[in-house]
Amino acid sequence: MSKIVRAAADFLYPFVMIFGFYIVLHGHLTPGGGFQGGAVIATGIALMFAAHRYREISLIFKKAIFNVCETFGLLMFITFGFAGIFFGKSFLYNWMVNIPGMLFGEAVAYGQNAGNLNTGGIIPLLNIAVGVEVLGALSLIIYYMLTYVVKMGVNKEDAS
Amino acid sequence: MRNLAVASILVVLSGTFVYMTAGHDITFGRPVNTQMDDYFLARGQEQTGANNVVTAVVFDFRGFDTLGEATVLFVVVLGIGMLFRKLMAREEEESE
Amino acid sequence: MTIAFAIQIIILTGLVLIGLLVFYLKDLLHAAIAFAAFSFLMSVEFYILQAPDVAIAEAGIGAGITTAILIQAVRSTTRKEFDN
Repeated sequence: MSKIVRAAADFLYPFVMIFGFYIVLHGHLTPGGGFQGGAVIATGIALMFAAHRYREISLIFKKAIFNVCETFGLLMFITFGFAGIFFGKSFLYNWMVNIPGMLFGEAVAYGQNAGNLNTGGIIPLLNIAVGVEVLGALSLIIYYMLTYVVKMGVNKEDAS
Repeated sequence: MRNLAVASILVVLSGTFVYMTAGHDITFGRPVNTQMDDYFLARGQEQTGANNVVTAVVFDFRGFDTLGEATVLFVVVLGIGMLFRKLMAREEEESE
Repeated sequence: MTIAFAIQIIILTGLVLIGLLVFYLKDLLHAAIAFAAFSFLMSVEFYILQAPDVAIAEAGIGAGITTAILIQAVRSTTRKEFDN
């Protein structure tokens, strides 16, 4: 792509990433959640894929990192699910909620309130797990297809 | 003749749809059975500790659905990796 | 008639027009960009209908990821759609 597109993508990239992580971390307070935030982060990575050349991209982003992100996210989700059984409740039971002193354990009153990040029990952790998984999975799909387009030699003259 | 058949089927289907929606007075934003919605809106905040009731439903009351969705995404990436496995093998040969 | 209702009429008309455009455009790259515009209008419509969760998901998946995948598909095949 041209120099203007590259400069604009480099400028926008950190803002898109920060917005995505904000959506993931505030999933239990504001609209959004793990899936939406992960999709926004993957959009930022797709922006970098579209703007730069393949060999610059392959130096910055590794397939193994996205693989680890995806697997680790799903394993984290299942682990938090089984933690409910470990504490004597059912699978995916919210065992951290409304326990003062616990992480994410403060109680919430009914009705409109200002919002406290330290609430929600297991929900913020599951949000982070799903966000990491979606970010890895969607980036990996685009990365595989880009590798196919570049390595298989179709339209090699405009493979940027 | 074939276009006529397709057009008549489309007219019948859309007419049925309009008749069903208009005849039964289904209005937007006012569902008929509201017991479940009322329960989530009344108890969701104190039971899950999350202000966002949508997230409370998706990750707490219906957590199994989210687990299935995450598994579907995982399997999709597995399928794409298997589709391009020949390419990945070639890339490894080049790097050796 | 409120402002939200007028905006909704404009958006729904635009959705139909852009859908026809996606169907009739012969240059597949242009069709992919038109599909991104379709997703953007869809996202605004979801936001007006008070579903911001779905709006964020639609903007991320529809306008971002799907456009990237479609453009890569166009790049690896042919750009022009040809008649049989």
